[in-house]
Amino acid sequence: MSTQQEIFEIISKQAKIDITTIKPESTLKDLGVASLDAIEVIFDIEEHFNINLPNEDTDFESGTVGHLVEAVDRQLAQKSPHS
Amino acid sequence: MQRIVITGMGAICALGHNAADTWRAMTEGRSGIGPIRRVDTNQLRNAAAIAAEISDFEPRAFIDEARLPFLDPLSQYALAAANEAISQSGLSFRNERASRTAVVVGVGVAGEETREGLYQKLYGDQCGRFHPLGIVRIMSNAPPSQISMAHGITGPTFTVASACASSNHAIAQAALMMRAGLVDAAIVGGAEACITLGLLRAWEAMRVLAPDTCRPFSINRRGLVLGEGAAMFVLETLESAQARGATILAELAGVGMSADAGDIAAPSDVGAAAAMQAALKDAGMQPTEIDYINAHGTGTAANDCTETRAIHKVFGEHARKLAISSTKPMHGHALGAGGALELIATLGALRHGIVPPTLNYLGPDPACDLDYVPNQARAMPVRAALSNSFAFGGLNAVVAVRQAP
Repeated sequence: MSTQQEIFEIISKQAKIDITTIKPESTLKDLGVASLDAIEVIFDIEEHFNINLPNEDTDFESGTVGHLVEAVDRQLAQKSPHS
Repeated sequence: MQRIVITGMGAICALGHNAADTWRAMTEGRSGIGPIRRVDTNQLRNAAAIAAEISDFEPRAFIDEARLPFLDPLSQYALAAANEAISQSGLSFRNERASRTAVVVGVGVAGEETREGLYQKLYGDQCGRFHPLGIVRIMSNAPPSQISMAHGITGPTFTVASACASSNHAIAQAALMMRAGLVDAAIVGGAEACITLGLLRAWEAMRVLAPDTCRPFSINRRGLVLGEGAAMFVLETLESAQARGATILAELAGVGMSADAGDIAAPSDVGAAAAMQAALKDAGMQPTEIDYINAHGTGTAANDCTETRAIHKVFGEHARKLAISSTKPMHGHALGAGGALELIATLGALRHGIVPPTLNYLGPDPACDLDYVPNQARAMPVRAALSNSFAFGGLNAVVAVRQAP
């Protein structure tokens, strides 16, 4: 499964929304994920991939899900540089 | 209705060990924020682990040595500040005064250093023995209890806990008891000792801690920086203060409280505005009488824009004439002690005609479009002022003060 698909599933589960409504260009705010729920989404993603996301990669207001996927991929690449 | 005045103040924080040093640092625009020394920062995610810690504090210089084993740093700070405030007021608590005085202290997280130390022994070191004074150090009512015992005050004595609004709620409770005729004087304020690994990790997980420094209302602000300390005040009826010829620092003109009844963490401009309006109404003041607001101003994305919108709502055109500053880049966000430390700043502005600055300001954020007194203190007359506190949980408390009668 791709990083994007896994992240979509986490967001869908946490925000209790249909996964087909999530697009790379959506922000968490667009998807109706507010305040602490958004922090929990990030927390779940970090736990799932066993990574730490820097705060600057988690702008809930204007950062898109696509950016989040890129940030996770960056962290995964750093974690396993030869994979 | 009884008019209430302030006749004593005391403080301890990263800027100084007393109110005068704290105020001087504020006027000079000095910051107490620096690298954390008390906690192993290798265990923090954030490489630039910073806070506004109190340095070089020797509790024996402030507190009876026999009392110290009972005191978490939380109560040490509270007692040091209360001793200073009471000494300045010249009030003594013999005879009837003892039972006609209240002690109300705002506390956010209580005796966290002691709690963390005990749990480290239990879960980390698998140690079977707990220190027998753990509970009396941890309990959130320790600060007012210790103040009452140290000074023989026997009136209503309790803690108010509403996170970052605790101090202002405590001040409001004391003022309301005084107006109701329950007491003639009160020792009020707030205390916090929150620079512990557990709490830092918890704040980090909320993604609101700044990695560099605290920049309220500024473009490129990146969050809050924790601080610690205490500030305490002596409230007294105007009649009592005048009768004994006390020096009156300012009048506590009004208090306003509200709840957002909305999001647990994201603040509401409606709730913040309601608390400011309530404080003005309680003080019998028009918005145009206010010259300065000591803002809650945490430096987080959500707080600063919301607070700015709330000020626009309450003050209309006068909003642009207000001097507004957040002193958190200097003393840090001291949670339960925040409002009390900020009242030191607010009283300083009233008494000395100097508005402390909002440090670390890099330039305007379009959503924060008021006069935040950037980077340097400003000399200007201040007739009356508000001090805002808005807490997680959507709890708001605002204090209004004006020149001594």
